[in-house]
Amino acid sequence: MAEDIFKQFKEHSVAEFFKKNRQMLGFSGKVRSMTIIVHEYVTNSLDACEEAGILPEIFVQVEELNKETKDHYRITVKDNGPGIPKSHLGKALGQMLAGTKFHRYIQQRGQQGIGAAACTMYSYITTGQKTKAITCHRGKKLTADISIDFKGNKAVVEETSEEPTEETGLLVTAEFKDVRYERSNQGVYEYLRRTALANPHCTITLMDPNNEKSVFPRSVEVNPQKPFEIKPHPLGITTHDLLEFARVNENRKVSSFLQNAFSRVSAAKVDELRTICTEVDFDKDPHELSWEDAEKIVKSFAKVKWIAPAMDSLVPIGKERIETSFRNIFNPEIIVVTERSPRVYRGGIPFMVEAGIAYGGGLVAAEKKGEVMRFANRVPLLFDNSGCVISETIKSIEWNRYNMKNFEEEPVAVLVNLLSVHVPYTSAGKQAISNEEDVADEIKLAVMEAGRTIQRHLSGKRRAHEIATKRKVISRYINQLSSDLSDLAGTKNKKDLLARLEKIVDEKYSQEDLGEEKGEVATKDSAKVDEGEGEE
Amino acid sequence: MNVSEAYGILMGKVILMTEKVVKEKLEGLGKRMIKEIEKNEGPTFETVLRTKSNTIFDESEGCLRTGDKTETRKFLSVAQAKTFMQTVAVAAKTKKFISEDLHASIRSLFYQLKFTLGEDIDEDMFAEQSESNALIEDLEVALGIKREDLHLTTERKGTVAGPIIIKDKFGGEVNTIDGTAMGRSGWGIPSDVDNDIEFKTTADYVLVVEKDAMWQRLNEDKFWKKENCLVITPKGQASRGTRRLLRKLADKKLPIYCFMDCDAWGWYIYWTIKTGSMNLAYLGHDFAVPEARFLGVSMKDIREFEFLQKLTITAKEVDVKRAEEMLEYPWISRHADWVAELKEVLKTKKKIEQDALQGERLTFVGEYIKDKIAKKKWMS
Repeated sequence: MAEDIFKQFKEHSVAEFFKKNRQMLGFSGKVRSMTIIVHEYVTNSLDACEEAGILPEIFVQVEELNKETKDHYRITVKDNGPGIPKSHLGKALGQMLAGTKFHRYIQQRGQQGIGAAACTMYSYITTGQKTKAITCHRGKKLTADISIDFKGNKAVVEETSEEPTEETGLLVTAEFKDVRYERSNQGVYEYLRRTALANPHCTITLMDPNNEKSVFPRSVEVNPQKPFEIKPHPLGITTHDLLEFARVNENRKVSSFLQNAFSRVSAAKVDELRTICTEVDFDKDPHELSWEDAEKIVKSFAKVKWIAPAMDSLVPIGKERIETSFRNIFNPEIIVVTERSPRVYRGGIPFMVEAGIAYGGGLVAAEKKGEVMRFANRVPLLFDNSGCVISETIKSIEWNRYNMKNFEEEPVAVLVNLLSVHVPYTSAGKQAISNEEDVADEIKLAVMEAGRTIQRHLSGKRRAHEIATKRKVISRYINQLSSDLSDLAGTKNKKDLLARLEKIVDEKYSQEDLGEEKGEVATKDSAKVDEGEGEE
Repeated sequence: MNVSEAYGILMGKVILMTEKVVKEKLEGLGKRMIKEIEKNEGPTFETVLRTKSNTIFDESEGCLRTGDKTETRKFLSVAQAKTFMQTVAVAAKTKKFISEDLHASIRSLFYQLKFTLGEDIDEDMFAEQSESNALIEDLEVALGIKREDLHLTTERKGTVAGPIIIKDKFGGEVNTIDGTAMGRSGWGIPSDVDNDIEFKTTADYVLVVEKDAMWQRLNEDKFWKKENCLVITPKGQASRGTRRLLRKLADKKLPIYCFMDCDAWGWYIYWTIKTGSMNLAYLGHDFAVPEARFLGVSMKDIREFEFLQKLTITAKEVDVKRAEEMLEYPWISRHADWVAELKEVLKTKKKIEQDALQGERLTFVGEYIKDKIAKKKWMS
């Protein structure tokens, strides 16, 4: 885990460490490196726009600089956000782990904050070039070249110009080698398409190396609600976590520490804890809590009925928004979206899962089959598919229960968005989510819930197909029957009979309910008795 | 003419059904269906269930008949739609035969109805004759009429010789046939002996022999002349025509004596003549001849005639099984003589063919039959 990594290199700079271990940030493989770079810039832009209450408009351009080697590109990302003040430019683009995001309990895209600086680093170590930034903030347009002092983990910002402007926004552009543009499932195009899917409030434009322009337009005119920073929930907190929080806290009594450090812990709940956990002195200094004390408190946490973690801390894409996005992108036959209630995993970390299934329609036309779209805090995860709890969970579902014989061959797309103040990524590359049991369970429940609705739809369709088949079978005999029947009765009203019979058959086989039908088939085996007549 | 008084025109109950009645029945079937359609309902028709469980033995009539379980066939049922259409097609076609006064074999009916259902439909009205055959039976049951009344003929089988005069109106002519002047071949019994045909006989009784070879023996011996009887062979299982003729002759109070093999097949032929078969139980009353008597060959004969003991055959599994089954049938188990006979078969595992009686002398058979009838040595 990232935390463990950072503890190891007190003596080294973070930048130095990642220079040697760039794959840890996701820079392994040319296509992946390209996507990661675009991701880091786009993510920062989205977060900045949303925080400033601006509907994001993001422009991405990828230019090929060496047509022969196909591994040298310029990547430019421009947004309409608030821009970055001069004083923060270096921190934002040139210093690893610069932000305060790391230990905040807030749902954010980048979370660990190594993003844009890692790109600056990657540009520098592959091309020797500096990253250029143009920031328009509070009436000033600042152009600067940024590089990193690896030993000191410091950004080096060289200002090239400053002029007044009425615009706001940030443009970052840099050259990279060891990258490649590909229109594959893991390429920039797919990444942006999925980002647009999970962020229907933004407009994203891509200009690819062939100067082909793709626009993913906004389908919702309101920014998502802003996530709130929250405290950990007592459920799921480990003894170790409790002691860690106790060590850094500034309260004088355990009782007040518990109320201040964790969410949903009221004075009344502390009183309840006192009655359950009589051996611990809730009035003592939290710094003096022993391992045993902490263990007892954590055990009694489990015996109290808590209010669920605050929903405010997690902002889902939302049922309607996912439906709108799905419709925009796939135009499927049916869309089912489920949204689970928030839960906690591990150290009281709130998370929630939303899942959507799109089936048929445009997916058939687009030849999309068994597509799994993973998101964490709305960020599409394109790599490390096999090691991710989302893919693994979806794979473990018995899809034939939902009328899908072979998931891989069905025109189906499954979207799972995991929201959390702290997403348990498997690595600093942030492309796969580790298999937390609570998380996996929620993912499964969300997808299965959506699956059941799909199943009802599909079996309804199958029924309709069966009804149509039955109608067809019977209909082919109507003409002959009408003709013979009018002959038999000697009535000469064949046409009238034909019309009436067609109407009767149509009415019978347009009804949903075929229950009446079943009993009749059984009586078919009448006449034949096992006794040869010997004649003829 | 007063021939009917002199000889008695043999008429069973069904024969009273005139062509007019049959046509009305067919039209009625169609009209009922049209009425349902006009009420916005799918057409249906009701028929008697022809299953083993719906076959009962009628004590008073002494024959098998169908019970009162019925089933309703529905055009709107996917499983029955095609059969339904086929049945109506058969009904319409036979109505046409009757109107045109033409007779057709059930095979030619099949060919008349073996056409494609439409240019865009890759399906024939009938693919196999067995399909149309079964529907003819359905119609017989549903309408309570016989296929012969529908102008449908089946293959001729069965031969008669002896004092019988047949007046056959056929193909616009009337021919009178003398059963005593048929030489070595006898008169072939047609499939329909009810319509446009009259029989007169002065015979004292009827002898039914299972096999054609035995019939030829008796014919050559002029057995029918010596005995003033009719000698009939069904050539195995009796056809509908033969059974109807036997019924008519029994109605004329002529005793019917049967002379069969002593094996499963022989017993079965006999009991079909006597009580009717399960498959045609719905026509039981018109076809069964409960008056029929079984002369032989019996297990008792083996004991009685020493030379037969060397001529027995080991009973096959089918014979044993049939004997066991027959003991279960209430209309057989109530006859003590048959129970004793069958138990002996099961015990000795032996059977014997009627031809064995010619083993010693070719003309022994005649004496055997005469003796049996004279001494009333028959089984019921």
